[in-house]
Amino acid sequence: MKFKAFLTDNGINLLEKRILPALDKMGKICHLYLTRDHAFFLHNLLNADGVQSIAQFKKESLFQDYRISSQNDDKIAFSIDLSLLHRALRSILTIYVESRDFNSNGLQIKLVKKLPPQSTQAMPFLTFEAKGYKSAVVQDVPISKPLSRADVQELQLALESAQEMPKTLVKAPELNSLQNLVDRMKHVGDVLGVSISKYGDLHLQISTTLITLGAEYRKLTVLGERADGVAGDEDLTAQSRTERAVQRGDAMTVQVSVKHFFKSLQCSLARPDCAFYGIAPQGTCLMMIFQFFVPGTRQTDKSISLHCRLPVLDPGSN
Amino acid sequence: MSSSVAVGTAEETPDLVCELDSVQGIVDALTSVRWKRHQDAVVELSEHGIVIIVEEASCLQAKVYLQRELFVKYDFGAHGRPRFGVSLGLFVDSLNTFSVPGRSNILELRYPGPDMQLLIRTVDSPNACIYAEIRTRIPETISWDYNFEPAGSTPLSFTVKSAALKTAIDDLEWPESSIQIKLQPSPPSVIFRGEGGHGEMQIDFNYYANVDLLIAFSCDRQISHRYKYKFLRATTSNIPSSVIRDNRGSKLTVGQGGMLKVQHLVSVAKPSVPHPHIDSAGYQQPSRIAYIEFFVKPEVEEDNDS
Repeated sequence: MKFKAFLTDNGINLLEKRILPALDKMGKICHLYLTRDHAFFLHNLLNADGVQSIAQFKKESLFQDYRISSQNDDKIAFSIDLSLLHRALRSILTIYVESRDFNSNGLQIKLVKKLPPQSTQAMPFLTFEAKGYKSAVVQDVPISKPLSRADVQELQLALESAQEMPKTLVKAPELNSLQNLVDRMKHVGDVLGVSISKYGDLHLQISTTLITLGAEYRKLTVLGERADGVAGDEDLTAQSRTERAVQRGDAMTVQVSVKHFFKSLQCSLARPDCAFYGIAPQGTCLMMIFQFFVPGTRQTDKSISLHCRLPVLDPGSN
Repeated sequence: MSSSVAVGTAEETPDLVCELDSVQGIVDALTSVRWKRHQDAVVELSEHGIVIIVEEASCLQAKVYLQRELFVKYDFGAHGRPRFGVSLGLFVDSLNTFSVPGRSNILELRYPGPDMQLLIRTVDSPNACIYAEIRTRIPETISWDYNFEPAGSTPLSFTVKSAALKTAIDDLEWPESSIQIKLQPSPPSVIFRGEGGHGEMQIDFNYYANVDLLIAFSCDRQISHRYKYKFLRATTSNIPSSVIRDNRGSKLTVGQGGMLKVQHLVSVAKPSVPHPHIDSAGYQQPSRIAYIEFFVKPEVEEDNDS
C-alpha cells in the first residue's frame, strides 16, 4: 500500500483556505478516500445519523506526480482528524513558502508507517514534507489503520448511493444571509420543515405548539424538473401555497434537524460560487449541492464537487 | 357558504396592524427586560402605542413603551385596550429573526390572527418573506398595582449615566444580599451600599465631584431603602449596548413607600441613518426612542431619618 504525491499551489490554497475550514465544521473526523483518479473527504458515510458531506477532487485539482498503489484495486481509505491535518498543513506552509523558489517540486504528501516515541508498534501517518535550501520539515499527522477491503467496499457503495440526484434543484438564496436567518431561527425550535417546489420556491419553517416561524423564497432558479406557478397562488400565505403545491405533486416537504441545516450552511466557508437545495427521490434526504466556478469564469469546475446530505427526521418522532 | 362566512369573520378589522422599518431597536428594548429564560409578558395595545409588561415575584415589574410614533404605520381598530399574554422569549427570538444585518425590512405586526395569534411578516419583498405566528394567551392579571406615587412635593430622583449605573450594580454583586440606596441633600450624593459574608462595599456618586456621571439630582431630605440585589441587577443586566454607545442616562426615582423606578431610553432609529448629534442626556429624537421602566419594591421599610 503506497501513496505519494505533491500538492500543487492551487491545491494547497484550496485545501488550506477553503475546503479544510469548511469540512472541519462538519465534524472533526472524516474519511480520506484515495483512488487512482480522485481524492474524497467523506463525513458520516458509514453511519446513518448526522450530516453526510462528500467532497470530491480530481487528482489534478490538488496534486501532481500522484502515485497510488494497493492490493485493493489501488484504493486506500483511512480516517483522519481534520483539525490536525489543517494545523499540520498551515505550519508546514510557513516554511514551504519561504523556500518555494528553490523547491520547484512542491510540498510532498505521503503515507508512512513510523515508530512513534515510547512505542514498540509502528503507526500509520500522513506525512507532509517540505525541503528547503538548508533544512527540511516533516509533519506527521496520525491516521487510523487503513480500512479493510470490506470497509472500503462499503464506503464505495455508500458513496455511489450518495450520488443520487434530486429531480428538482432550486438555487439557494445568498448563503450568508440564509445562515444568519437560520442561526436566529434555531432559538425557537429543533425541527425544520424544508419544502422545495418545481416553481422555484424554497420554504423553511419551524413549527411548535407556541410558534410558527418561517421564511419563503420564491422564483429561485430551478435545475431539473420545473413547472409554472399556478395563477391565484400569489395571494395565499406561504403555508397554504406550499400545501397546495405538495397536493399537486409539484413540491416535496421534509423535516430535518435545524442544527444539521445550520451545519451544512457552514460549508459556505469553502466559498462556493453558488449552492442548490433539493430533496432526494422518495424524500430520503435533503441535499445541498455547492458549485465552484473555474476561476475567472462562470463555468462550473467539474473537477471539484462538494455536497451535503441531511438525514430526514421521522415526522412521528417529534 | 359557511366557508365564506368564516373568511368574513377572520377578515374583520384587526385590533392592530402596524409596520416597522427597523426591528433591531425593538429587539434591544425588549431584551433589556428579559432577565431570565422563561418569562410571560402581557402586551397591551392602545391608540397611543404598545406596552409590554413583565413582572416577577410581585417585587419587580418592567414596562416597555413603544409609542405609535415608532411605527411607520399604526392602524388601531379596537375599542379600549386589548391585552394578550405571550412568551417574552419567543417574541424576542422571533423578532430577532427578522433583523438581518445590513438590510432593513419593512415588518408588519398584526393582532389578532384567525386563531388569536400575533402575526409578524416582512412585507417589502414579494419573492422573499419571513413570517411568524406566535400563540397568545389570555393574560394573567397583573398581581399588584404598581401605581407609582411621588414621595413628596420635591421628587427624590437622580439621573446617572447608564454605563456607570450598570458598572456600579455589577460591582455590588453580593449574592442573595440586599443593596441600600441612599440619597442625601448635603453634600448632594447618592450612595449604593452592599454587605455580604466577607465584607461590605460602598459606591458614592457625589453630585459635585461626578457631574459627568451624575447628570441630574433632586433631593430635599435624606432617604434610604434596601432592594434585593437580584431585582436591582435585573434593571441593568440586559441594558442594550446601543444605550451605552449613545452615552445615555438612566433616571432613578424613589416614590412613596420606597418604590424605586428606573427609567432607560433605547434608540429604535434605523442603524443605517447616521446619528444626529445626541446630547449627553440622550433626549434627542424623541419620536425614535422606546421608554423602559422598571419598578422595584423595597425589601423592608426603613426609618427614613436614619
